[in-house]
Amino acid sequence: MIVTRTQKAGFSLYAGIVLLVFYFPVFCIIVASLSKKRFFSFPYASEEMTFKWYADAANSPQVHDFVGVSLRIAAVAALASVTIGFFSALAYARYRWRGRQTFQRLVLLPLFFPQSVLGLALLMWFNFLNVTTAWWTAAIAHTVWIAPITTLIISIQAYGLDESLEEAARDMGATRWQILRKITIPLLLPGMISATCFAVLLSWGNFALSLFTTGADSALPEWLYARMTSGYQPMVPAVGVINVGVAILLVIVLFTIVRWSTRKSRTSAPSH
Amino acid sequence: MSGALPVIPPKSRLLERVPGLIGALSASPFALLMLFGFVAPLLCVVWFGFMPSKTFSLLQAPTLENYETIFNQTYFKSILWSLGLASVTVLILLVICFPLAFAMAKIFKGVASFITYAIATSLFVSENIRLFGWVIGFMKNGVVGGTLAKVFDVQVDSLLYNIPVIILGMVYVYLPFMLFPLVLGVKMVPDQVREAAFDLGASRWQVFKKIDLPLSMPGVMIGSLLVFVLSVGAISEAKILGGQKVVTIASDIESEFTYAQNWPLGSALSTMFIALTTVVVFFALGRFDLEKLLGKKPAE
Amino acid sequence: MDESAAPILEVANVTKRFGKFTAVNDVSFKIADGEFFTLVGPSGSGKTTLLRMLVGMEKPTTGELRLRGKIINDLAPNLRPTCMVFQSLALFPHMTVGKNVEFPLAIRGARESERRTRAWELLKLLHLDPNRYYDKNVTQCSGGERQRVALARALAYDPEILFFDEPLSALDARLRKTLQKELKDIQRSTKKTFCYVTHSLEEAMVMSDRVAILRSGVIEQIGQPDEIYASPKNAFVAEFMGEVNLLDIIASGDTAALWDTGRKPISLTLPAPLEAGTKRKLLVRPESLRFVSPGETAGNTVPVRILNQFSLGSRIQYHVEVTPGCTLTVERLREERSAAGADAVLGWDLADSQILES
Repeated sequence: MIVTRTQKAGFSLYAGIVLLVFYFPVFCIIVASLSKKRFFSFPYASEEMTFKWYADAANSPQVHDFVGVSLRIAAVAALASVTIGFFSALAYARYRWRGRQTFQRLVLLPLFFPQSVLGLALLMWFNFLNVTTAWWTAAIAHTVWIAPITTLIISIQAYGLDESLEEAARDMGATRWQILRKITIPLLLPGMISATCFAVLLSWGNFALSLFTTGADSALPEWLYARMTSGYQPMVPAVGVINVGVAILLVIVLFTIVRWSTRKSRTSAPSH
Repeated sequence: MSGALPVIPPKSRLLERVPGLIGALSASPFALLMLFGFVAPLLCVVWFGFMPSKTFSLLQAPTLENYETIFNQTYFKSILWSLGLASVTVLILLVICFPLAFAMAKIFKGVASFITYAIATSLFVSENIRLFGWVIGFMKNGVVGGTLAKVFDVQVDSLLYNIPVIILGMVYVYLPFMLFPLVLGVKMVPDQVREAAFDLGASRWQVFKKIDLPLSMPGVMIGSLLVFVLSVGAISEAKILGGQKVVTIASDIESEFTYAQNWPLGSALSTMFIALTTVVVFFALGRFDLEKLLGKKPAE
Repeated sequence: MDESAAPILEVANVTKRFGKFTAVNDVSFKIADGEFFTLVGPSGSGKTTLLRMLVGMEKPTTGELRLRGKIINDLAPNLRPTCMVFQSLALFPHMTVGKNVEFPLAIRGARESERRTRAWELLKLLHLDPNRYYDKNVTQCSGGERQRVALARALAYDPEILFFDEPLSALDARLRKTLQKELKDIQRSTKKTFCYVTHSLEEAMVMSDRVAILRSGVIEQIGQPDEIYASPKNAFVAEFMGEVNLLDIIASGDTAALWDTGRKPISLTLPAPLEAGTKRKLLVRPESLRFVSPGETAGNTVPVRILNQFSLGSRIQYHVEVTPGCTLTVERLREERSAAGADAVLGWDLADSQILES
């Protein structure tokens, strides 16, 4: 499309402003996390800068606990939602079966559902089942919400899967299990890796579900929420920055994998 | 391999004989998860809404008293607040995101994926942390106030705890959910169709109204729907940025479960809330085809 | 085919319906051991459906498939000692050439060294230097190389019958010709039974021992290429073989007939007597037609006007008009050139024409 230079400059300026506003809160948190004072005020002199709060956070056994709980939930939720998502993606995009269209619509339902209400509903359900909520009930809650997303991500890859590859393997004597192991899983692997990253990230940042389903355990976002609503505490911004940093790191990993897999799929286009 | 035919193991025959069984089988773990983790809890909520006030047991005689309480008190106010805030958020986001989505889909090249990742990263940071950034920015002696005092010598008190800030927070938190569907939607508008319209004498505004908007409608629908549903259930924005200025339906529900310890009333509120969003979602979801938006119809 | 020899594959009254649509309708034929058999038909003729039933990816609605006398209708493709080369080739993009060829051996649990030796042999057989190709990524191979890899992989399975689903259709004409000959050579040297599916009768004629022509799920004619060429069973088969002239005729007693040209009917003499009033098609090949100079005789002669001429290399093709809207195609050697726009007299010998059912 033909775009004049001024148009392009205008759109770039606009995008720049949106991004700046978008990252303004992150900037604020970083600034606050480096301030020595107990009660933050802006601006502060450079000698008032400190990494003390980071050190405090890193040494706080409490923070360790919360990070541990968050990571445990993320690991279990990611593993479960990618495993379930792999099969449901095949049902969604690859196999032809009678209930498929209904399935495709229902898969999305949990995504369009307010998470806080889902969290509450699960809390009551676990209560009804006489299950004491703990980190693993939160992992179940996260899986319910994340499995539709992993399904969608893997489905996009599964749509591109050439059916005749599986048929050819079958024709050459491979059993269904062998086809799954040697053909389907390797070919869907890039999609599964990005789905894993997404799952870990979404679980890591989730608050609304964890709030009601972690019970006595507490995930990092919950702890932050509790501190935020009960007045300013200087360690909170530092922990927040650490949380953001981990997320950015994971996104970079995701980005690299996606780049790598798209390059791979581009070279694998048949060259007639 | 030549010569005698191998014996057929009986196990593999069922999958062959029943067409579509493999599809249903693959869908079953997901279906079980949803039955256990989505459908059952929701039924549980609905049932709990009919339990007498302040009980924690599901095995009482059902009653409608919670719904009477809801209609006799001012809960409809929080419902209206939630709906109003969500609608305003959707409208503002449509205005903010459409130009950006257009630029990302049609003008920017490498930069578009940079913006995508920059914005997507925020999805993985708990919204509380991001909202807390605004608190630091807007609080008394915060980043904004401090800068204004230092540079312009204007003293401002806290900018927090009012309705515009709540809306800012919601717009901010749900921006990715509007932007990404819009980008997908705008990408569906073929360049040649736009060029043809220009070529036939349409003005910029006419092209937007008659070509861009209708052809990117699936993206606009999905984005608006997602933002609406998510923001109607929002708790944190009103709490963290709004103080207790506005009470939304979601925070009403939360306080019934936490401070008031009245689960049946909270459940009844949730049920109404679920019914409301379900109506909106079903009405909207029934009107478009997601596979079309993904651009990937399965090979038949 | 020697009918007394036991067939390796027998298709008996096979029908396949998809809902109300009948894709294959009561088809029967036999394939002999070591034969190169080709199913040919236009798109929608049911040839692909038939093939998918033969390899086990579809099940016949009725009828029987017998492999060496045993019914294999319900046998899953991975349990049949047959193998198919797909139209898309279906090479595994995440494996090297070597690993692709070794795949069926790995599935069977063959030892690493054994697999490697076999893959090496097969690559050599298909003129792919194993030193260069064994570790090459299949996605980096050219179209022709990919064909060879696919064939090597199918041969590695050591099937009793090799099926081909138009694997050459995506290639350019020259490479296709080379690979057709190679395929025939490999079939001869390995003595395997090949069953090939294509929409190109030309391709079928080059390679096959026997050809079956399908139309709308029914076999129209089955036989050796020469046999089909010499005596096509009906107008469809004749037309399918390439550019031919089919004249609408009505017999008027004994060997006399009238040719319906749309305007005035032209009297013709038929190669054989036909009952008066029967409608048939008269096949006259373009190369059987010739321009008749005054004084020369031919079985039939028709005055025509030359509309156009096209060079086919060593031959010239003429489009001639008998009456407005009724044209014939003539092919002559370059030396016997005639000018366009000129009037001429066209003739053919009776022995060069055939009466066909329409």
